[in-house]
Amino acid sequence: MCDGGQSAVTSAATASRPILEKGRVIDNVALGSGMGFITLEAPRVASMLLPGQFVHLRVGEPCGEHILRRPLSVCDFDADAGLFKIYYQIKGGGTAALSARGKGEELDFIGPIGRPWTPPEGCTRALLVGGGVGCAPLTPLYKALLEAGVEVQMIRGAQNATMMAALEVLDFTNTGCKMILTTDDGSVGYHGFVTVPARECLQSGGYDYVATCGPEPMQKLIAGMAAEAGVYCEVSLERRMACGIGACLSCVVDTTDGKKRACVDGPVFDASVIVW
Amino acid sequence: MVNVGMNSLVELAVDLGGLKMKNPFTVASGTFASGREYADLWAATMDTADCDGLATKLAFNPDKPLSILGALTTKGVSHKSWPGNTGIRITETASGMLNSIGLQNPGVEDFCTKDISWFGSQGVPVIVNVSGHSVDEYRRVVERLEREGAVTAYEINISCPNVDCGGMSFGIDPRAAAEVTQACRALTKRPLIIKLTPNVTDITEIARACEAAGASGLSLINTVAGMAIDIRARKPLFDRKMAGLSGPAIKPIALWAVHRVYGAVKLPILGMGGITNAEDVFEFMLAGATAVAVGSQNFTDPLSVPRLIVEFAELCEREGVKNIDELIGGLE
Ligand SMILES: Cc1cc2nc3c(=O)[nH]c(=O)nc-3n(C[C@H](O)[C@H](O)[C@H](O)COP(=O)(O)OP(=O)(O)OC[C@H]3O[C@@H](n4cnc5c(N)ncnc54)[C@H](O)[C@@H]3O)c2cc1C
Ligand SMILES: Cc1cc2nc3c(=O)[nH]c(=O)nc-3n(C[C@H](O)[C@H](O)[C@H](O)COP(=O)(O)O)c2cc1C
Ligand code: FES
Repeated sequence: MCDGGQSAVTSAATASRPILEKGRVIDNVALGSGMGFITLEAPRVASMLLPGQFVHLRVGEPCGEHILRRPLSVCDFDADAGLFKIYYQIKGGGTAALSARGKGEELDFIGPIGRPWTPPEGCTRALLVGGGVGCAPLTPLYKALLEAGVEVQMIRGAQNATMMAALEVLDFTNTGCKMILTTDDGSVGYHGFVTVPARECLQSGGYDYVATCGPEPMQKLIAGMAAEAGVYCEVSLERRMACGIGACLSCVVDTTDGKKRACVDGPVFDASVIVW
Repeated sequence: MVNVGMNSLVELAVDLGGLKMKNPFTVASGTFASGREYADLWAATMDTADCDGLATKLAFNPDKPLSILGALTTKGVSHKSWPGNTGIRITETASGMLNSIGLQNPGVEDFCTKDISWFGSQGVPVIVNVSGHSVDEYRRVVERLEREGAVTAYEINISCPNVDCGGMSFGIDPRAAAEVTQACRALTKRPLIIKLTPNVTDITEIARACEAAGASGLSLINTVAGMAIDIRARKPLFDRKMAGLSGPAIKPIALWAVHRVYGAVKLPILGMGGITNAEDVFEFMLAGATAVAVGSQNFTDPLSVPRLIVEFAELCEREGVKNIDELIGGLE
């Protein structure tokens, strides 16, 4: 809990090493417009997860079509119940295979993986900016921030009203979070990109932490605005991943300190080190 | 039920050109870094119910996870640091994957500082995979590694399709292959394994050249040259256009290469390419491999190597194999 804002809400320093766990599908629902929401029972991984971390899910058979796992962020977890959830977009064969997994089926994954969101010590007011599926990894962060007594402004962007409606499954933790919605076509909320209200928020001042996830050009813009406003900003970057545990160098990100691995040195990075 | 760690009923030990392995399993270079990440994951996972008693069967020691391997093979090490390739580095293909990592590594000096003591702590023979842009660069890496006791053997990579200068260009020309082999041979008494590419018309020609130049063994195959296209951008997916194909998709190519090379030279072979299960290992050995390396399968299942060691021993037992030497090149 928040004691005068001194406790770190979530921190890279406490991240556990990943394990392989076989979990069970508790629920897997189609949300329409190509989105899915899966709940997995996996007590060991659920007990170690931190906001911003992901799991590397196996979607295929050993000699089958899909030999690579799929990295997917955890959008909610409950250590006591031994559950975690993933909000996913069906993009290609791998996520389509995932959407076909039914209740009671076994799924195996590596987790928890990655550097979690790490808000600055004593953070009091946070701006979270999510674009589409990028809203998923921000969800456990806003939950943790709210629990720690941090004031949170969330900006959520989607292409249109249907995509925005799908994102509503992430609202199970939305207690006391201020939310601004934007759509590319104006069918809900602000007409335009998240960058417009984000700029207004930052100009109004008072923020000491910005966290963003979504399309990379969007993250780059948000990071630039945060830098201008002098506010510490974290981004969460996506790269194609083979091993998912830091061994193969398929997922590198260019930083001011050379190439870093998105899987274990990220996916959450201090935005100021990224060479965009 | 075999107990591979304690007293397997099957004799699993092999000799790969002077490299003594307690079982025929190593990992394919570049898929396993220097082993820390997998060692950690194995140590954290092996005793759980999801591992079907693997820990007991392997007499797994969580302080020395890699000691279950016949040998560890490292990521490619070059003289100076290499940045690797720009742009997208992997993509999945039907039952396989393409990679264009480009041998990113911090150079041999950094490698020695960071990894040598780690190897020492693991109690496992270590094969260091060596890369270079020129004969001189290969030579300098081996020269430096000769000063390190924890290095057991070398795997000289003359077959990487993912670098412009050097790499595969040495592996497609018998004279250049012999020159690199000779230069390294002159520097070391350690087992010297030359890693060959399948991207040639006649792999046996290269194999013979390496044998004549003093190689202790041959390792094959490196990845198969391939390409992927982004139709929206109408551009190659990879910045270097070409990438290397690995995984189950290349197993038949690899088996055929091993079989042909086995018939052409006396050198022991480290076989690899698409190995996913114990039957695959059996096939590679029948085709002529003395030992095998597991590569892309580590990505699909990070516990595949421990599983394979146990499953292969069980398969041998079922097949009535007493000593796996009898399998090597044992095609009727
Ligand atoms: C750390 C991290 C967290 C992620 N979290 C989520 C999430 O919470 N929800 C969600 O819907 N998506 C998330 N993604 C993206 C998700 O991994 C891809 O959409 C998915 O891998 C696509 O697989 P596919 O087989 O359906 O698509 P295909 O396009 O057929 O995949 C082909 C190959 O490319 C890889 N690939 C394609 N797109 C991406 C991408 N954007 N990022 C990484 N690899 C990709 C695939 O893994 C596969 O190896 C995340 C990615 C990363 C790196
Ligand atoms: C991501 C990746 C990186 C690799 N890096 C190297 C390397 O550094 N040196 C090398 O000799 N081979 C490298 N290889 C080739 C493998 O060692 C192996 O020869 C090939 O992948 C075939 O085996 P597999 O089908 O089991 O993966 C790499 C392969 C992959 C997939
Ligand atoms: S996915 Fe292998 S290093 Fe990141």
